[in-house]
Amino acid sequence: MARQKNDILQGTLALLVLRTLEARPRLHGYALTSHIQRVSDDLLRVEEGSLYPALHRMEQEGWLRSEWGITEKNREARFYSLTAAGKKQLREERESWKRLTKGVDRVLRHA
Amino acid sequence: MPWYDRLLGLLRRGRLPSEIEREISFHLAERTDDLVAQGMSRRDAMLEARRRFGSPSFPRQRTYRTSGVVWLESVLADLRYATRSLRRSPGFATVAIVSLGLGIGANTAIFSLYNALVLRALPVSNPQELVQVTFGDGRTNLTNPLWEELREQQDVLTGVFAFGRASFNLTDGGEVRYASGHWVSGGFFPVLGVRPMLGRLLVNSDDYRGCPAVAVVSYGFWQREFGGAAEGVGGSLLLNGSPFTVVGVVDPAFSGLDVGTATDVYAPICTWPIVYPGSDRLDNRSAWFLKAMGRPARGLSADQAGARLATLSSGIFGATVPQDWNAEGQARYREYTLAVRAAPNGVSQLREQYRTALLVLLAVVGIVLLIACGNVANLLLARATRRQHEVAIRRAIGSGRGRLVRLLVTESLLLSLVSAIVAIGFARWASAFLVRMLSTGGDMWLNLNLDAKVLGFTMAVATLTGLLFGLAPAWRATGVAPQAALRTAGREAADRRGRFAIGKVLVIGQVAMSLSLVVGAGLLIGTLTRLHALDPGFNRDGVLIVSVNTRNVGYSREESRLTNLGLLARLRALGGVRSASAAVIIPISGSSWNNDVEVDGYQPTDRQDALVWFNTMSDGYFTTLQTPLLAGRDFDSRDAPGSVQVAVINETMARRFFAEPRPLGRLFRVVPISGEGETYEVIGVVTDTKYGSIGEATLPIAYFPLSQTGFEGSSLQFLIRTDGAPTALIPAVASLIGEVHPRISVRFSTLEDVVAASLTRPRVLAVLSGFFGGVALLLATIGLYGTLSYRVTSRRNEIGVRLALGAARTRVLGMVLGEVGRLALAGIAIGVIGALASTRLLSTFLFGVKATDPLTLALSATVLAVVAVVAGALPAWRAARLDPVETLRGE
Repeated sequence: MARQKNDILQGTLALLVLRTLEARPRLHGYALTSHIQRVSDDLLRVEEGSLYPALHRMEQEGWLRSEWGITEKNREARFYSLTAAGKKQLREERESWKRLTKGVDRVLRHA
Repeated sequence: MPWYDRLLGLLRRGRLPSEIEREISFHLAERTDDLVAQGMSRRDAMLEARRRFGSPSFPRQRTYRTSGVVWLESVLADLRYATRSLRRSPGFATVAIVSLGLGIGANTAIFSLYNALVLRALPVSNPQELVQVTFGDGRTNLTNPLWEELREQQDVLTGVFAFGRASFNLTDGGEVRYASGHWVSGGFFPVLGVRPMLGRLLVNSDDYRGCPAVAVVSYGFWQREFGGAAEGVGGSLLLNGSPFTVVGVVDPAFSGLDVGTATDVYAPICTWPIVYPGSDRLDNRSAWFLKAMGRPARGLSADQAGARLATLSSGIFGATVPQDWNAEGQARYREYTLAVRAAPNGVSQLREQYRTALLVLLAVVGIVLLIACGNVANLLLARATRRQHEVAIRRAIGSGRGRLVRLLVTESLLLSLVSAIVAIGFARWASAFLVRMLSTGGDMWLNLNLDAKVLGFTMAVATLTGLLFGLAPAWRATGVAPQAALRTAGREAADRRGRFAIGKVLVIGQVAMSLSLVVGAGLLIGTLTRLHALDPGFNRDGVLIVSVNTRNVGYSREESRLTNLGLLARLRALGGVRSASAAVIIPISGSSWNNDVEVDGYQPTDRQDALVWFNTMSDGYFTTLQTPLLAGRDFDSRDAPGSVQVAVINETMARRFFAEPRPLGRLFRVVPISGEGETYEVIGVVTDTKYGSIGEATLPIAYFPLSQTGFEGSSLQFLIRTDGAPTALIPAVASLIGEVHPRISVRFSTLEDVVAASLTRPRVLAVLSGFFGGVALLLATIGLYGTLSYRVTSRRNEIGVRLALGAARTRVLGMVLGEVGRLALAGIAIGVIGALASTRLLSTFLFGVKATDPLTLALSATVLAVVAVVAGALPAWRAARLDPVETLRGE
């Protein structure tokens, strides 16, 4: 299955969303999907069905806040931005990601 | 998530899905646009967008759950499930609900009594403001002159009033019928803010010296005596033979300030001389019959009001010094101070008597409920084992353990809440029964209506109970690995040992707790039997007491004397009367009279040591009560008004004051607080008798002859000894007295009843603790039996194999009984420690037995051991009788 390699590793979706919103505040869900895909050169593809539950969960955790607004195409969309708690969370997740990759990398090199 | 978010979630329930739908449809629209831009047809693009998105309903469900709506919804679903599953096992549900209902109900019953007596505020406006005026040392009774002085001089209470307990005879001659009442000052109703239901209540203008005879009655009294007719108001009422005009009926919610008594008649204090003609009570500075209450002035706390009142004390007491007291007494009187204390729930003798006793009973029924919980938990454990298959399937298809525990606990909570409803019904009956048990007269009354406190208590107990018996079984039931449970294909899963372990803990706890209760019951029953068996120094059986009051007849003193003497002679001549005597005080009845006594050569170490208790009687008193005369003589015709004043004393007085057992011919002086002291010569010594209560330390008593102190009193008690039942004499005595004069009031009782009434509290405690101790034993027996039966059933195969291999049946019997023995011993050991730690709380209720009485402890432990053997016998016998072939074939 070719799509498998594009799947986002479980648990990293939050990291990607937080980082994206740090760089670009006020994005709607669709823009988030396309942005992640574009920035990763199509290496990563967000599973759209699981994006929205994740966004809602993160909003309930207090990492995100959202509001309804109008897009340039005059469509109603929900825009998400990062909260202070979200920034803190991003720092933590970024740290743990670095640790993980460093660890995995070492194992691959020296094992 | 906090609960309010959940609540908001529920409110948002209509909105939330549409928000998510809007978000998703936006996403799909954007995707479609992009795909169209890449060259797809709009129709294909829409389909492709949906396909990429995946199942749109899936995220909606996920999001939905986090909102908490699902939480509440699933609680309702659990409730539906619980109802269904309980309905499917009606036997289990009935047993659980009935036993819990009775357990919770007993708690509710005792609590509602405690609530009515101790917690419930008076049904008046702003009861929390009410304070009672007391002495600095806590005494509460005032004289009328003191009350009037307090009313005039104080400036810290905006409303102040006085009231006193009253008892009015409603009949005009013949057998008496009493109504409980209050003497009230004019401020009583206005300050309390009580409203009339009919007519008017008493006000300040009703309360002045020489006031007319008006009274207010309770709603219940108005119903009973006037048939609830409006004409009752303005009608006439006879109080101790004097006609009073009824001016109003009190609001039905109000029943006086004496909690525990139904107060039926309210008369102004100033009508005392009308009810008791010739009495100087209103000016008597030594007649303590009133209590004062009020509300502190605006802005003053109770403490501030008390402090201010204390500074006014010397003026108030200085103006009311009893002139006839001796110098020492007057000096003490001037030193008295006043204080206040909060009195939001009135005053109550009953409360002082039973407050702690009710707490003890509450603890007892609490423990009984815990034991009952143990049994229900055991039932639930058994049920959980049967349901393991169902639980396994639920877990296999993804139910979390917490979720399943919640499902099962919901079932327990449902059980306990339904039990709470049963409990409230049972408690209404049980608390009324308790009140009847406590009641010695006819006028005891408590407001046992359900209120927020009782309801809250019941619900709290029920919820706690549900969690208590539900959590452990639910936790265990859901702890089995699904594969293991499923593999046994619907039969019980393998780990019976674990279930037995919880069962063991439960049973040991039950045995321990029932032992504590049995020990407590043993101590209280021991107290009662000791009090009963105690020789009070007189024979209480076969004595009729005839209380005669000739006040309404209007005799002169000489007529009164002749009538009393004539009555005594005629009673003695009555058929069936062995002996008769007249006396002023009946022992153990609560009346008392004492004073300081001086004897040459005796130096009392403190004031208490100089006190002697008195009674006055005719000749034949000691014969009638069968109190042995140890030396000297009874009163006789020599003891006339002019001759040497004589007295008979008891052994304790002889020893304490004269330091010799038979001080015949020696003298003592009574030193009253007022008036001249009199000197008396000892002419006889009698055995010690109890004076005020059966359990008291024996008091020194001196008896004086009526023939010298005077038979002129309008109120006298006749004691009649008969060989048959004393009450059989009543008709003859009543008609005899009626012949003397129809307006003589008379009341009958027996000495046995008087003594029994004084033992109400120990009797109530003994009976109830005995009853609940029995219930606890029964519950523990059931618990033991159930656990062991289960144990034997689950070991069927093992026992079968043992038997097949040639084990003796007695060995099997011993094995099971050994298990019972170990459980019981563990429980008994813990129970003994618990009992030693807790029975100390009972010490104020014990008489003649220590809280740590080893005999009671040993007996109780034996009872528990016997119960354990009885409970274990049937399962053990069944195990020994197993047919090995049968059990092995079943495998």
